[in-house]
Amino acid sequence: MGTMGLALPWRARISSTPRERGTRVEPSEHFAAGASPAAMEAQSEDAALAAGCRSGDLRAFERLYARHGARMKNLARNVLGNPVDAEDAVQETFLKVQRSIASFRGQSSFVTWTYRILINTCYDARRSRLRKREVANEDSAETPRPEPRAPGAHPSLRMALERALAKLTRHQRDVFLLYEVEGFRHAEIAGMLEMTKTASKNTLFQAKKNLRQMLEPPRSSDAETR
Amino acid sequence: MNVTCSDRERIFEDGTPVEWVALEAHAASCPLCGEEVRAWKALSVAAEELRDYSDSPSLWPRIERALAEEAKRKAQRGQRWNWVSRLTRFSPGWQTALAGAFAVVLAISGGWIYIHRPVAPVDNDKSLLRSSALKEVESAETAYERAIDKLAAQARPQLENPATQLLANYHEKLLVLDSAIADLRAQAGLNPSNAQLRYQLLAVYREKQRTLEEVLEARQR
Repeated sequence: MGTMGLALPWRARISSTPRERGTRVEPSEHFAAGASPAAMEAQSEDAALAAGCRSGDLRAFERLYARHGARMKNLARNVLGNPVDAEDAVQETFLKVQRSIASFRGQSSFVTWTYRILINTCYDARRSRLRKREVANEDSAETPRPEPRAPGAHPSLRMALERALAKLTRHQRDVFLLYEVEGFRHAEIAGMLEMTKTASKNTLFQAKKNLRQMLEPPRSSDAETR
Repeated sequence: MNVTCSDRERIFEDGTPVEWVALEAHAASCPLCGEEVRAWKALSVAAEELRDYSDSPSLWPRIERALAEEAKRKAQRGQRWNWVSRLTRFSPGWQTALAGAFAVVLAISGGWIYIHRPVAPVDNDKSLLRSSALKEVESAETAYERAIDKLAAQARPQLENPATQLLANYHEKLLVLDSAIADLRAQAGLNPSNAQLRYQLLAVYREKQRTLEEVLEARQR
């Protein structure tokens, strides 16, 4: 499989240190069990946030920001490619939540609903940016241009991953970012992206397969071993 | 639990924790699965590189300001539509009852306005005669004309052969008055409702009546 110029040897790029959530499996999805105290607490916090925001209490919005602001901004940056647009998208999301909180019926969790708004806002911003680029007769490549961010352990890996992510389909990219980067569960992602849990799992599988193909160096032993 | 290489992708997609443990045990003795599992896990580790939860101190104040401004605008809009939103707070039964009451009030008001609608303005223009008045005028006119014709018939011998200059003058005057009467009658025929014409005609008839009376008085003298 070609590597599209993105490949770096896996062992050179990825820390060999074992990571606890290297392969995250969701026990709750496989074992029927009653709601845990933590889940109950999260549910009541979610309901309290929704009620606070519905009543127009700015402290509720502040609590929402304190709990999810950083994650929202990170997700927006990964979709949009730069922190300035990401901050605008987060702000716009809060305004949209405030404007349309009356229409929130509690069919999903309030936080899930908020992230759905954020994702849609990010894609609206992307489309708007593309239109502006087309008007300006600039390079209309859909690939967002990543801007510098806090240095990680493997900056070259991060860049390679960003480029590879840009080549995935929208759903594959979203599911990968939400699951692997932001740590959401498939049930939550299903609510955010309006798909089934099974579709979320399948999309993540396809996304990782594609990323692997794009990032993996050609293996000379591939044919032999298979 | 035993897994084989063929189970690998299924476990990657939707494996249970038990299946993952079994796959890793299998991967320890299978170089291909070992490589695949390592690479699969490595993607999750690599994803951490995309996680940057650094603080943005200016973001919340900016959002807070925008939210406060939006709330202010919303409140201003809300004041305008406050009475509508109050109505929506009622139960559907009450809303129906209110709508019914509103319809009844509307119907009563409409009826009252219809009954007490302003009467069409009275026609104060005396120059126009209505059909009933016109008939009365015409019949009175005919009777008056007939009476004057009788008077004219009595004065005719003197006027046809005037004995004096005065009678000759009366004769000429009566010819002029007859001509004026003919003109006015013609005009009145075209515009029968014109009261002004009728007044003029009546005046000319009166003048003819006076002239005939003077002619008859002159004969008696």
